[in-house]
Order: sequence, then C-alpha cells, then structure tokens
Amino acid sequence: MSLDDMDKSGIAAAVLSLVQPATWFADDVPLSRKLGRECNEYGAKLVRDHPGRFGLFAVISPPDTEGSLKEIEYALDTLKADGIGLMTSYDNKYLGDPSFEPVYAELNRRKAVVYVHPTTPSCCGAVTAGIPASTIEYATDSTRTIGQLVMSGLSVKYPDIRWIFSHSGGTLPFLSGRFVRLAEERKPAHLPNGPLPEFRKFYYELAQGNTPGQIAALLKMVPVSQVLYGTDFPFRDGAEVNAGIAAYGFNPEDIRSIERDVAFKLIPRLKQ
Amino acid sequence: MTIKRMAGASQRKFFANCACCEPSPARNSVPLDRRNFLAGGLAALGLGSTAGIMGAPAVQAQAARTRIDVHHHFLPPMHREALAKHKMGAPKWSVQMSLEEMDKSGIAASVLSQVQPGTWYGDSAESRLLSRAINEYGAKLVQDHPGRFGLFATITPLDVEGSLKEIEYAFDTLKCDGLGLLTSYDGKYLGDPSFAPVYDELNRRKAVIYVHPLTPNCCNNVVPGIPPGSIEYATDTSRTIAHLVFSGTSQKYPDIRWIFSHSGGTLPFLTQRFIQQQKVQKHAHLPNGPMPEFQKFYYELAQGNTKAQLSGLFSMVGVSQVLYGTDYPYRDGAEVNDGIAAWNFNATDLRSIENETARKLLPKLKVA
Repeated sequence: MSLDDMDKSGIAAAVLSLVQPATWFADDVPLSRKLGRECNEYGAKLVRDHPGRFGLFAVISPPDTEGSLKEIEYALDTLKADGIGLMTSYDNKYLGDPSFEPVYAELNRRKAVVYVHPTTPSCCGAVTAGIPASTIEYATDSTRTIGQLVMSGLSVKYPDIRWIFSHSGGTLPFLSGRFVRLAEERKPAHLPNGPLPEFRKFYYELAQGNTPGQIAALLKMVPVSQVLYGTDFPFRDGAEVNAGIAAYGFNPEDIRSIERDVAFKLIPRLKQ
Repeated sequence: MTIKRMAGASQRKFFANCACCEPSPARNSVPLDRRNFLAGGLAALGLGSTAGIMGAPAVQAQAARTRIDVHHHFLPPMHREALAKHKMGAPKWSVQMSLEEMDKSGIAASVLSQVQPGTWYGDSAESRLLSRAINEYGAKLVQDHPGRFGLFATITPLDVEGSLKEIEYAFDTLKCDGLGLLTSYDGKYLGDPSFAPVYDELNRRKAVIYVHPLTPNCCNNVVPGIPPGSIEYATDTSRTIAHLVFSGTSQKYPDIRWIFSHSGGTLPFLTQRFIQQQKVQKHAHLPNGPMPEFQKFYYELAQGNTKAQLSGLFSMVGVSQVLYGTDYPYRDGAEVNDGIAAWNFNATDLRSIENETARKLLPKLKVA
C-alpha cells in the first residue's frame, strides 16, 4: 500500500514512523521496550528490503529513560535509523517535561532528528460529544507540546536536536501571538527575543496542514526553509498534500526545497 | 512599537504588536494581502476579495471614534466578589478605564460582556442572582453613558428555567443587544441538547449571541508551565463551533446570529479536519460539509489579528463576517488596531469590520 501510494504520488522515499499511541500503554515499561524494539527491527528490515524507498524514525518512550537510552543506541548505531519518532504527549507529560532531559541530552549529543506526531491526549480524548479526537485534539496537542518545549527552555538547552512537527505545527501558527505575549509577561531568561526564534528553528511538515489558510499562516511564522513534505499515509495520502502544495502556488525552488532539499539536509543518507 | 504606562501596581502591561517580534517575510513570499491565491476557491464560494487591494493605510482615528467593539468585558463589583469567593482571577476594570481606552483607540461604542468563567459554580440560585446583577449593572452603564455601550446579557444555559426568565428580562426590560455565552459549561458545549428550550426562545427573538471562551475542566492544568489562556481558550472556541455545527444546532436555530471570539479560536487552521470529519460521519444535515455553516458565523479580531491569523481567517470567510474587538481589559484597542493596520485593508473593508457589520447585527445599539 505504501509503495503503491508512493509511486502514485511521486514519492521517492518515505521515512516511516509508528501510528499513535506508539508503544506507550499505561506506563507498561516492559511492553514498551519489547514492542519498541520489535517495531524498530521491523522498520529497519523494510528499509533494507526496499533500498532507497524507506527511512526510519525509530520509536522510544521518553517516560522510560533507561529503556529509551538503550533503544536510542541500538536504533541509531545498529539499525541505522534516520532519527527518532516521538508522540506529542505521554499521558500527562509533554515534551518539555524535565524528566525527559537525559534522553534529550543523548539526542542532542547525536544531533538527532526527532519527528513528533500527535496522539490523543489523556486530558481530552472525549471532550466534545460527536467530535472525534482527530478533528481538534491532535493539532492542539502539537501546539501544547511545542509550547512547553520552548517555554520550559529544553529546546534551547538542547539546541542540536532537529525537531520536526506534524501538520504544520498543529495550531501553533494560529496561536503564536499568545506565546509571544506569554514570553513578554514572563520574560524567561532563555527567550530574550521571545519564542518566535525557537519556533523558527523547528521544522514543520505539511500533511493535513496544507490548506491555503494553513500554509499562509505557517509561512507567516517560519520561512519556507523550515517546511517539509509529508502525507500522513495511510490516514491521508500523497494526492491530498500534492493538491494542497499545487494550490498554494509555490515557486519551483520552494517546491524543491519542501519536497526534497530540506529532508536531504536533515537526513543526508536519503540522498543515496 | 508602543509600550503602555503601568496604570497601577497590578495592571498588566499591554504591548502593541511590535515589529521586532514579527517574523521576517518568508523567502520569495509575496505578502498575502497582495496575492489572490484563493482565486479559484474564494470565487467559487462567492466571497468578497480582500486580496490584491492596496487601499489607504488605516488611520489611527484618535479624534474620530468610529469603531464598534464587540469584545469588551466589564466586571461589576458583585461579579468581582463572586470570582474572588470562588478563587478565580479577575482583571482590573472600571468604567472609566473602558471609556479612556475607547477614546484613545477610536472606539465609539463597546458591547459589554461578562468575564470568564462567568456565573456558574454549580448553583442555579447563585447563577441567577449573579446574572441578574451583572445584567442590571450593564444596563445601567448603557443608560449612564449614552451611545458608548451596549450589552450582551449573561445567562447560564445549564439552568434552562433561569435562562428563560433572564432572557425575557434582559431583552424586554433591560433592552440588551444580545446575549453573551461561554464556549462550554461544565463540559457541555453549545450544541448540547439540553439547551434546546433556550435556543428556541433565542431563535424566536433572532438574537445575536456573542461567545467567549473559558478553560474547560479537562484542561486547566494540562501543560505545566503553560497557562491555559495560551492554548485552551482558542481550542475551546473551536470545540464549541464544531459542536454547534455537527450536532445540527446552528441549523436548527438559523435565526440566531453567532459571534465567535478571537477569529474563531483555532477553527480557521483546522477547516480541513472538519471537512474530513463530515466525509466520515456523513451527517444528513451537512450535505455540503461544515464550511457553509462556519461561513454564516461572525468572527471578531481581538487576539486574532496576527498576519497568520488573518490569513487563516480570510481563507475561510469573507470580510462581511468579520468584526472588531479588543478583549479589553485583557488586551487593548492599540493591539487590534495595529494588527488591522498591518494587514492593509481597503477603506470599504475597514469600515465594514470596524463599524458597519456591527451596526447591521445590532441595529438598536445607540452609537455616539
């Protein structure tokens, strides 16, 4: 299915990641480690079996520090994964959680690429009758986690981690002004110029983030150099994001940047 | 960039949008207001085009008060006391502060509404007393300052009987201009079936309802270090709009005119999600998806006027659905005026947003 959609949609290579909620289930550490390893092995085999078609964002569960550190080593050194895949939250912990620091220290040391996908947050899975979590809550959770990552200082403290956020940042481009004002009020020492410079260091992929309104808003927050191509397959497909990109009217350089060059910069192995 | 003087020890600093905080233009990007990127889509929807029009820059009309502010809070003493009793924060406010702000920001009239989280603390009797007191106080402000204020009266739809009584009193005796509701009450969103009798009456009256967010119970402490105002308000607005539309409520009561705060919260950024939801759920009442309903609503610009927000909003609705609001005293007129000025609306659109659409929605509002 993946290969068919990739061929149909002009996708040379797809960097694979798990579906939410990945491998973290109710604090079950042994399950998380076992499932994580199995999924990463499976992903690595797909990469090997289909040369040049796949990459891998290996799964870890940051609430399990020890397991994560072990899996980072195995995934990046042995499996040659291209980066790490995280969720926006793990129960009530967001990515600015201080308990994740040891994991970030290691990812920072390795200058890892970290791809973040939303999950149904524990606060809000069934908050609005008749409205599934995917409509509002996923995108909101991306915003929560980016906000906490920046306001907590962890993204500044570990500046060599390259963060990719899904869906054009969830709802962040629409709410960036709120964070600007928050920083104006609180004046955190680590954000002397507010949060925007940090937001502008991150990368944002366009799956389910490519309506004209979303792209326009995203590009008011970050330059096109921070934008990546994504499909959200199999939930959505290449045709959808391709149509969104075409409708926006990017110039050819920007299209090449979004669809290839920035990914190559982040993950040079993909060029081969 | 302007920095307001601190008017009191507890006064929050208000910052105008400052150029230093603006992201620099994207590489090769064309300013959105010059781009007609929506030619196909917008034309098909029959929306007015604000793109590609370079009118005269907005003038900060400090001498001339032409704006009508539909998002302007007031805090009567008894409400302040109730908030304190329930350990809720409250902003500094006085009618003098409002009038000075309005004069400074070129606002002719402000339609007043309650501060969140409103009057509901689990007790109908308290809520009824508080709502009545707030509404009486507001009506007196309208009377005492002719042409400067209007009133979105407070009710709590959880209490149907109390709401029906208060609606009658607020409209018929106090002559309020509309109602002010919150995005949710105890986790019930505005499409809740139990609110039906209230909507029956409001629909009969062709009422204007102004909706302001609060932080729902789910989400008061979701993200350590991030106050709920940063994310949860805007999100709750999206939830309640979605609930009104997908439940069929907005269509069942089509004569109610809805105004949502902050450019719709995060709704303009998530339109495709709602379209997708309908594709899956296939509600009979949304044969053309949810967008036609979203496009009937009105959206005011307080804390919704960054370039990113305006880009998103105008990809969803035309200028005709957009209103002026300040969110005073939490924010101020200078902030929304700066955001509007930066967008470079033409004169017609500016008049529409800042004055005429509000006059049309609220014909009985006396404007000085």
